[in-house]
Amino acid sequence: MTQKDDLTKKPVNVDDILKVDLYDVEETPHISVNFDRCIGCETKPCIDLCPAKCYDLLGGKVLFSYSGCLECGTCRIVCPQNAISWNYPRSGKGIQYRFT
Amino acid sequence: MSTEHSTPNASPSTNRFDAIVVGAGPAGSSASFTLARKGFKVLMIDRGRRAGTKNMYGGRVYSEPLEAIFPSLRKDAPVHRWVKAERLSFVSDEGLTSIEYRGGESKSFTTYLPELVNWMRAKAEEAGALVATEVRVDRLVVEKEKVIGVQAGPDTVYADTVIDAEGVNRLLLEGAWQMNVPRQEDLAIGLKETIKLDAERVNQRFGLEDEGMAWILLGSVTRYIPGGAFVYTNRDSVSIGLVLFLSHAVKRTNGHISRLLEDFRLHPKLKHLWRDGELLEYSAKLVPEYWRGFMPRRLSGAGLLVVGDAAGVLLNNGMTIRGVDLAAYSGYLAAETFTKAHAEGDFTSEMLSAYGRRVEESFIGRELRKHNGLEYIRRNPHFFDQYPRLVNSGLGRIFNIGLESPTIWKALRGAQKDVGPDAWTAIKDMYKIGRTL
Amino acid sequence: MQILVGIKWVPNTSNVRFDPKTGALIREGVPSIVNPHDLDAVEFALDLRDRYGGEVNALSMAPPSAIEGLEQVLGMGVDSAILVSDRIYGGADTLATSYVLAHAVKRISNQRGKLDLVIFGQETIDSSTAHIAAQTASWLDLPYLYYVRSVEIKENGFIAVERWLEDEKTIYDLPLPAVLGVAMKSREPRPVRLIYKIRAKAEKPIEIVTNEILKLNPNCVGLKGSPTWVSKIDYTPEVKRKREVFMDPDAGKAAKWLMQKYADEDINLIGGAHR
Ligand SMILES: Cc1cc2nc3c(=O)[nH]c(=O)nc-3n(C[C@H](O)[C@H](O)[C@H](O)COP(=O)(O)OP(=O)(O)OC[C@H]3O[C@@H](n4cnc5c(N)ncnc54)[C@H](O)[C@@H]3O)c2cc1C
Ligand code: SF4
Repeated sequence: MTQKDDLTKKPVNVDDILKVDLYDVEETPHISVNFDRCIGCETKPCIDLCPAKCYDLLGGKVLFSYSGCLECGTCRIVCPQNAISWNYPRSGKGIQYRFT
Repeated sequence: MSTEHSTPNASPSTNRFDAIVVGAGPAGSSASFTLARKGFKVLMIDRGRRAGTKNMYGGRVYSEPLEAIFPSLRKDAPVHRWVKAERLSFVSDEGLTSIEYRGGESKSFTTYLPELVNWMRAKAEEAGALVATEVRVDRLVVEKEKVIGVQAGPDTVYADTVIDAEGVNRLLLEGAWQMNVPRQEDLAIGLKETIKLDAERVNQRFGLEDEGMAWILLGSVTRYIPGGAFVYTNRDSVSIGLVLFLSHAVKRTNGHISRLLEDFRLHPKLKHLWRDGELLEYSAKLVPEYWRGFMPRRLSGAGLLVVGDAAGVLLNNGMTIRGVDLAAYSGYLAAETFTKAHAEGDFTSEMLSAYGRRVEESFIGRELRKHNGLEYIRRNPHFFDQYPRLVNSGLGRIFNIGLESPTIWKALRGAQKDVGPDAWTAIKDMYKIGRTL
Repeated sequence: MQILVGIKWVPNTSNVRFDPKTGALIREGVPSIVNPHDLDAVEFALDLRDRYGGEVNALSMAPPSAIEGLEQVLGMGVDSAILVSDRIYGGADTLATSYVLAHAVKRISNQRGKLDLVIFGQETIDSSTAHIAAQTASWLDLPYLYYVRSVEIKENGFIAVERWLEDEKTIYDLPLPAVLGVAMKSREPRPVRLIYKIRAKAEKPIEIVTNEILKLNPNCVGLKGSPTWVSKIDYTPEVKRKREVFMDPDAGKAAKWLMQKYADEDINLIGGAHR
């Protein structure tokens, strides 16, 4: 997301949108996923519902990256396989909201 | 060689408090401020780097309950704009219909929640509360079914009562009371973009003179998924966002959820309002949708009071979300209950259960019960698809005159054809809802 | 061990906006933080204290808002903090800053009778000069090593300091007192602890030192004492990520693929600045 991009003209990818957010990423992940349980999961709602697109599909497999996490808790609620062990980051780390 | 530092000497003055408040959001800060003002030794803990950095919402706060707690609110709170313009729009592929109300005196304002929360925290600190940020509480410490303190990492700190103000993801409460993870049906997901726009443009584009607008949009803006879209004008930015019932969103986003917000931002009839704006922040959070489902069976236990979103004291009628003021007021009521309990030296579950009754008897309980009637809207999917289409199609026929204008009757008949066989039920429903509102 | 750690209070430049017209950095919504590399230094110092006992104190030259940052390092377990703060110290370059810091260090070591180590982070995220530690050591006439990875105390009042450069790893014997620059990202800073944070708030172990106390020549500090000026700030254009993924269980193939990509992009992997 650069300042020249016009927000009202072309679609802006969520990865670019997330670049405006301020993070202080914790070294150790605050969320961990038991990927074994994703194998039998048909719906994989995390992929479309995580607002930060932390979950991605690659060759049918779920990939997870915690660094852009907005700490909303959605994945914890929607995961049908109970595959996510979820917590907040420690020590003031993670998303740093300013204008919301 | 000495290792005296590996465990700090937790002196009695630093590991025992009258009350510990977990969470410095609107609920926790209000409770801490109220308690500190009365002279109690209060510890408020938040996981954010500073208070406010973890708090997100839509954009408008109702001021009266807050003023009852923070008397100086109108003088020094970080208010962006006092809301004097309310707009409700029905959006569909057929068009967009808006109802707008502009009143005189304003009882709500727009602001950034991180700013407001940090202001509340400062008030609590000035009043004497000890505020420890950057600390995530890991566990409520329970002994013989009584909460006796909190644990964070290797440290435990004790109090007569813990006030749980941890917000919607109530991990601590789930742990202490062995509760289940909340159900999708009881939650909604909100996402929002804050777009920088200088104050002058905000004024021009929304027809304002430094006052604020709160705008709710229903219909195609959520791709007819139950929920709504919102626009709030801040001092020099606009907040645009969506709230979607989680149980519906799970099935119907049809692609990544952020695309819905993107489509809203790019909506041909709306995008000029934030043209040339600069994206400041993207945020997301869960919100209790159906309070009856989300609220725990009780709001207190021995040594424990639950306030704010964690307690499900939040009004969400599908259009307006009132969380901040209700959370704050519940924090205030918890502080009042604690005061009474402290006077009696009794922190049992019986004593503290007075808090739940206070909530029920206050405006919070009255409001929640009243809006239970609107559950009807929640459960009625037409509200979010057929109504907006019906309104727009009907009005389209009335206003788009060719040679001869149709009668209202004809217009409605036409609209019914556009929308489908359920349209009549929808018209009847709308009449009913109009009466409820 | 008596250890002093330098802390810089910097704008969080991990995400900054520039005014499209003037090119100037926009400070709105840019919170200040403790320079992340200084947290490595704090961790380094606390680890020494864990092993050898003693005290770790933080030293910062900054406006009063830096108290928040000092509370963070106190929350990690630092014993006390000294904030050198005066209007006339504002606008300082590294020379004027290290001048003030050196005098503050002297004062602390006189007051407390003993000082073994002054530890700094490798550099700061807002200016990346890596000057301060070296300059402070020069003012104090103390031995100095940078890119330091670890320290062991030896019998004879010396320490064994391990330093890593790109292509060498050296162990030096250094007499105390000394000044060290800790290699960035060489440590994982410990989380803030509740008990320490409460203590920081309740006992407020932060001493504020003004120029009335340090009595430095106003011409040697702040803007006046700073011969450096910034003529222009340029920013590098954003490089779009290509989002390419190589899927193969064979790590060797993956490495080959990656190396080819680097070659295609003309990226030279040898002689990179940091490991
Ligand atoms: C999209 C959306 C739009 C909304 N719009 C509005 C609106 O316009 N107006 C309105 O009034 N309300 C609105 N709300 C509701 C409002 O955001 C909440 O009701 C309100 O923030 C609740 O306050 P709280 O103090 O209970 O919880 P929160 O604001 O969530 O605060 C909880 C605090 O606890 C801290 N915390 C949590 N766990 C721990 C832990 N383990 N250790 C330490 N600290 C912890 C968090 O850091 C946080 O600061 C909206 C909500 C959403 C999601
Ligand atoms: S908590 Fe929210 S933002 Fe973080 S990974 Fe889960 S769904 Fe995504």
